[in-house]
Amino acid sequence: MGKIIEVNDLCFRYYEHDPWTIDSVSLFVNEGEWLSIIGHNGSGKSTLAKCLNGLLLPEEGSVKIGGLDTRDELAIWDIRRQVGMVFQNPDNQFVGTTVKDDVAFGMENHGIPRNDMIVRLDEALKLVQMEEYAAEEPHRLSGGQKQRVAIAGIIALSPSIIILDEATSMLDPQGRQEIIETMRYLNKENNITVLSITHDLEEAIYSDRMIVMNQGKVLREGLPSEIFKEAKMLEDIGLDLPFTVKMRQALSKLGVPLSENALLQEELVEELWTLQSKI
Amino acid sequence: MDITIKNLTHLYHPNTPFERIALRDINLQIKSGSFVSVIGHTGSGKSTLVQHINGLLKPSRGEITVGDVTIKAREKAPRLKDLRKRVGLVFQYPEHQLFEETVEKDLCFGPMNFGLPLEEAKAKAHQALKLVGLPQDFLQRSPFDLSGGQMRRVAIAGVLAVEPEVIILDEPTAGLDPMGRRDILSLFERLHEEKAVTTIMVTHSMDDAAYYSDKVLVMDRGQVVMMDKPEHVFSDSKQLKQLGLDIPVTMNFLAKLNKKVHGQSVRPVFSIEETADAAIKMLRQGRGETGHV
Repeated sequence: MGKIIEVNDLCFRYYEHDPWTIDSVSLFVNEGEWLSIIGHNGSGKSTLAKCLNGLLLPEEGSVKIGGLDTRDELAIWDIRRQVGMVFQNPDNQFVGTTVKDDVAFGMENHGIPRNDMIVRLDEALKLVQMEEYAAEEPHRLSGGQKQRVAIAGIIALSPSIIILDEATSMLDPQGRQEIIETMRYLNKENNITVLSITHDLEEAIYSDRMIVMNQGKVLREGLPSEIFKEAKMLEDIGLDLPFTVKMRQALSKLGVPLSENALLQEELVEELWTLQSKI
Repeated sequence: MDITIKNLTHLYHPNTPFERIALRDINLQIKSGSFVSVIGHTGSGKSTLVQHINGLLKPSRGEITVGDVTIKAREKAPRLKDLRKRVGLVFQYPEHQLFEETVEKDLCFGPMNFGLPLEEAKAKAHQALKLVGLPQDFLQRSPFDLSGGQMRRVAIAGVLAVEPEVIILDEPTAGLDPMGRRDILSLFERLHEEKAVTTIMVTHSMDDAAYYSDKVLVMDRGQVVMMDKPEHVFSDSKQLKQLGLDIPVTMNFLAKLNKKVHGQSVRPVFSIEETADAAIKMLRQGRGETGHV
C-alpha cells in the first residue's frame, strides 16, 4: 500500500502577518485508506483539505498527491482531477440545471470527449444509485441526493481520492446514512481513498485511522480505538466522545467491570452480554 | 404566548405553473413556555412552517394566531412589527447576517430597530452578550474577526437582545463542533427554564429533539404526522425510519441490547445516565432476576 498523500512540514496562513493557520503539519494517507480528521471549529481542518487539492498552496513545506507537488503548475489539473472534494452545503455545489448536466460539468471542464462522457455519466450515476434521477432538476432532490450527485460528478473524473469536508453535517439522518454507505462502497469496491473531515464522531469510529487537529497542528494520529481512549484530551480541545464510550464510562461508574475496547454499539452489547451473570 | 395554527396551507408560487404545496392543512397548538422540536427529512416543510410564526411567510389558506395577533390568508396582516419583536427567529447559519463594524453595534441594531434609545439598546446588548457566555471586551471587536462558534453566539445574542418571548431556532448547531453544540443548546435550555421562553427548534438531530423537548413535531411532505411527547414519538422506530428519520442513539443501543439478552422492553430514555440504568436493569431481567439499580 503506497502513500497517496504526503504532507511535509506544511505551513499556511491567509495573511502575511497572521499566525499560521496550518502550523508545520506532516501527515500521510495510504492508498485505499479511510482517514478521518477531527478537531474543533477553527482548528485548521478545512484549510488543510484545501491544501490537498491545490486550492491553497503551501507557504512552507510541501503537499504531494500521488507523487505530484501541488506547487507544480503543470501538475495542478491532474491533481484536481485526482482529488475530488464534497463540501458541506448541498445547494452551493449544484451547478447544472439537471442531474445529468451537473455530473457532466466537471467532465466538460476537464475536456473529456463526448462519447467517453456519456459512458462515464451512466456509470457514475449508477455507482451513487441516482441513475433514475438523471433528468431531474435539483429542487426535486433531497439533500442526501444532491450530495450523491456531487459525488457522481467527482467519480466521473475517476479520482483516486475523495475529500468529504463535513459533507453530511447539513443532512437528515437518512441523507447522512446514504452518503456514508455510498462512500463506503466506493472505498471498498473502487479502492478510492477517503479523507473525511467531520464533527460526527459516530462516523469517525468506522475509519481506518484518525487524525486530531488542534490550533493548526496535528495533535494525535492513530486508530479510532486508541484516539477515543483519550477522553480527557478530546474534551480539553472542545470535542466530545462517541456514544459507546460515554455509555461505557457511565456503566463503569455503576460498577460494571467493562474493558476499554468497545467502540461500536454491537461490541458493547456483546461485552455486556458476556458479563450478564456478574451484574 | 400560545401559538395556534388552523387549517394552514402554504403554496409556493401560487397561480403559476410552478405552484407547489409546501404545507398542507396544518392544525396544531404550541403552549406558552414549552420547548418543541420540529423534525422531518429535508424538504418536509419544517422551515416553511416555523417562518409563519413570526409572519415572515403568510398562510395561503387558513390562519395562525401567535399571542393576540392573528394572521389570516387573504387578509392584510396586522401589527407585524410587534409580532417580530416578540418572536425571535434564528436562521440557519445566523452568523452570515452579521454586518456591523463592532459586536456592540450589531447587537444594538435589533433593539434600536424596535424603538429603544441608544443607551437602553446598549444595556440590552451587554446583557445579551453575557447570556451567550462571551466576555464584555468582545463588544468593541469586529464580528468578522471572531471564530465560527463565537460569531454564531454573537448572532444569537442579536436575537436575544430584543428579549423575545418566543425563540425559533432553525438548526442552531449546524456546522458547530461538539462543544459549540453543547454550549448553544444548554444556553437555550437555560433560557427556556429560567425565563420560560417558548422555544421551537428545527433539528436533524434525533438525540437533541428527544433530550431537550417537551414535545416533538414530526413533519412529512408538508403535513404534521405526529406531535407528542418525545417518549411517544420515539417509541415507533419503524414509522420514523419510513419517514427518513430515526430513533435517538440511546434507544437504538437499548434495542440492540434487548435483542441480545432477551430482556423486557423499557420505557424510552434519552440521557446517558438513564440509559446506563436501563441497560443494567435489562441485563438483570434477562437472567431472570429482578434487581434494583
